[in-house]
Amino acid sequence: MAQICVYFQLHQPRRLADFSIFDLGDEAAKYVSSSENDTNEVVFHKVASKSYFPMLSLLKKLLKKYPSFVFSLSISGLFLEQAQQWEPGIVTLLQDIIATGQVEVFSETYYHSLASIYSPTEFKAQVMEHQRAMLDYFGVIPTTFRNTELIYSNAVAEQVAALGFEGTLTEAVPRYLGNRQKTRLYHSYTPSHLPILLKHAELSDDIAFRFSDKSWSGYPLTVEKYLHWLDRYGDEELINLFMDFETFGEHQWEDTGIFEFFSNLVAVAQDKHAFVLPRSIFAQFASEPATKLEVYDVPVPISWADVDRDLTAWIDNPFQQDSLRILYSLEKQILAIGDEKLIKQWRYLQTSDHFYYMCTKWANDGDVHAYFSPFDSPYEAYRRYSIVLSDIKAKVHQLLDHPSLKLIH
Amino acid sequence: MNSAQLGVFMVGWEYPPHNSGGLGVACQGMTKALNQLNNHIYFTLPYSVPGGSSHMDILSCVAPSIVGNLVPGQLYSAPFSPYINTAKIPTSSFQLPLDKAKLTTLPQSEIESRVGIYADAVAQEAFSHKNSTDVIHAHDWMSFPAAVAASKATNQPFIAHIHSTEFDRVPNGNGSSFILQTEYEGLMKASRVIAVSAYTKEILVTKYGIPRDKISIVHNGIDPLSANRIPHDSFAPKRPVITFMGRFTMQKGTEFFLELAEKVLARIPDALFIMAGDGDMYHELLWKTASAGLSTSMLFSGFVRDTQRERLLDRSDVFIMPSVSEPFGLVALEAAQRNTPVIVSKNSGVAEVLPSAIQADFWDTDLMADQVVSLLQDTKQSKIVVDNQHRDLRLITWPKAAERINQVYRDVFLGA
Repeated sequence: MAQICVYFQLHQPRRLADFSIFDLGDEAAKYVSSSENDTNEVVFHKVASKSYFPMLSLLKKLLKKYPSFVFSLSISGLFLEQAQQWEPGIVTLLQDIIATGQVEVFSETYYHSLASIYSPTEFKAQVMEHQRAMLDYFGVIPTTFRNTELIYSNAVAEQVAALGFEGTLTEAVPRYLGNRQKTRLYHSYTPSHLPILLKHAELSDDIAFRFSDKSWSGYPLTVEKYLHWLDRYGDEELINLFMDFETFGEHQWEDTGIFEFFSNLVAVAQDKHAFVLPRSIFAQFASEPATKLEVYDVPVPISWADVDRDLTAWIDNPFQQDSLRILYSLEKQILAIGDEKLIKQWRYLQTSDHFYYMCTKWANDGDVHAYFSPFDSPYEAYRRYSIVLSDIKAKVHQLLDHPSLKLIH
Repeated sequence: MNSAQLGVFMVGWEYPPHNSGGLGVACQGMTKALNQLNNHIYFTLPYSVPGGSSHMDILSCVAPSIVGNLVPGQLYSAPFSPYINTAKIPTSSFQLPLDKAKLTTLPQSEIESRVGIYADAVAQEAFSHKNSTDVIHAHDWMSFPAAVAASKATNQPFIAHIHSTEFDRVPNGNGSSFILQTEYEGLMKASRVIAVSAYTKEILVTKYGIPRDKISIVHNGIDPLSANRIPHDSFAPKRPVITFMGRFTMQKGTEFFLELAEKVLARIPDALFIMAGDGDMYHELLWKTASAGLSTSMLFSGFVRDTQRERLLDRSDVFIMPSVSEPFGLVALEAAQRNTPVIVSKNSGVAEVLPSAIQADFWDTDLMADQVVSLLQDTKQSKIVVDNQHRDLRLITWPKAAERINQVYRDVFLGA
């Protein structure tokens, strides 16, 4: 009887508004669109009806029917903002299912950013903002931390531990894990010995990516077949199934049978295996100080993205590197100005998706990037982003050169 | 010159609003002014034009007559076809406008085919306007085969008007041999040649071996702006704006613009460089911009037209045209009209009519950077340049250009 740890990611970026060079210096122009009927709203409504509503409703039913069924959610601040703005029914559903106590809510950066790589102070600020949002919306204080796209390294673990979290999760990357099992709990290569759960990429992606792939040898994926794979794992082994929430209804459409599959899987698996939450795994570990965990030493950052499981989806080419360099170079000045609206706009520009759209890697990964991008090409993504970045930089310089303007706000 | 009406059969390729470069704009200004001089103009285009023109007869010369009633993208099969579903007329049919810049990006066989089909269609039209045609006037190589055919069909002489050559477009000398050959044959068969500048005339003499006395120089004109126009809304306040506008090609010297930008930014860090346009060097320019750490100093507006184009030129504090080879360079005049001091490449025709603009060798980015810095820091100097440019502009008119073209018509007509 293995332990199954399921976590779904809920995130929607705020994509850039149609901000051209002719909008430079226009105080009224917005960097990310938030007006009615913009791309963000259209996308949100679409995904809400295909995925958020049907899957949340299904999960609500399953939680009620099976008291031993538990799972985790990580909800970006940007997701919540947009849900509140355009589909408040989703917030209500989330509140309902979280109130059951069967759902653990993770901590993450409010803006789904790369701050853990670029600025520890900014990282902390965004984690705190997210904690406040989780408390405000759901009355919970998360104790498990999930970094953007499961980005992880020893240095990230240090930051996470310093903020008092009980544990974190990331990808099992063979170049660091070696041939050790990913179904065990590890701890960080840092003095804090932060416990780490590792994603089971094969079993997660069988559902998230391959479920409807007719060229896959496992197709069609039945509950029996999947359960058979789960049965190979023994007691005490942890099967960490981490995936995007949109797997259900958006990446895998309703007509693939994904909802029935998940529903039946929960029904059958809860008899044979145990669903567990990261917080209980970490608590158990903490209560048994004698337990010796092996070290997961990750000197260079990893993530759950693309074939390489590294940061090249966001930080690889000059477009991404120069944009990020300039963006984070503004931190001190923007915080010194202290204008809340300006800080918020700057943080919107930190969302990892902006850099993901600029990725110029091709082959399979390129397809995935193109699927998610609102732009025709990475070049257009960079061109549009650089105009907005130029505007906020000019604004910052102007406010610092003319401090009296601060009073006007 | 006051005289009887001449029938001018003009072979064009693009015309506003279906144009991206200067050729269409030049044809518009030129034909309007020629019409004022009492010429009757037939103007051919390789695509269908809805509506028409008040100052000339536009003749759509689209492909052979069989294409006439076929609809692009629709399936056709012969009545008793042994096969189901035969030919499909491509949606990129010859009936759709395709400006000169895009034409040259096609495979050579398609360029040849388009130019050839146009020649046949133009010849048919010319034949039916035989009695009202006194002279044929063709613009650039795409029209030359058509002009030669029209000349045969009407038995009238033709004038080859050069707005740019393959040597300008591909400065490294690796231009298309088909285009070079078409240019050469057209220039040789023409009775007279008009070059848009002395700079271009020299290219025609030295590179193509055209006799010097066969070539007349007629600089383009520009329509004056309305005296009481309201300037467009400004943008990017507080930052000096330095603009490039044109196709992103080797010819236009885009890489030199990037190079001089880095040099200016070392001295004026908040300067904003804007590149307006599109072209085959676009991705490379973006890449170089980011690699140089200039993501917020060098912005790309995309292709701008109409109001946006005017807004950008109105706003610019300096306009730079660092072309490697520029037969004329109309955009420099547009910038000058909009009170922007202009720096132009010495290898440009426009330098001949806008002597008040600042000149530099396209490769001399140190000098251009100095010039930009000095214009930005010395507002008095900048104003003097702008005022002097306006004085130059008063002499650069289409009526003046039309007078000179008319003289060429007379020379040809009289067999001079």
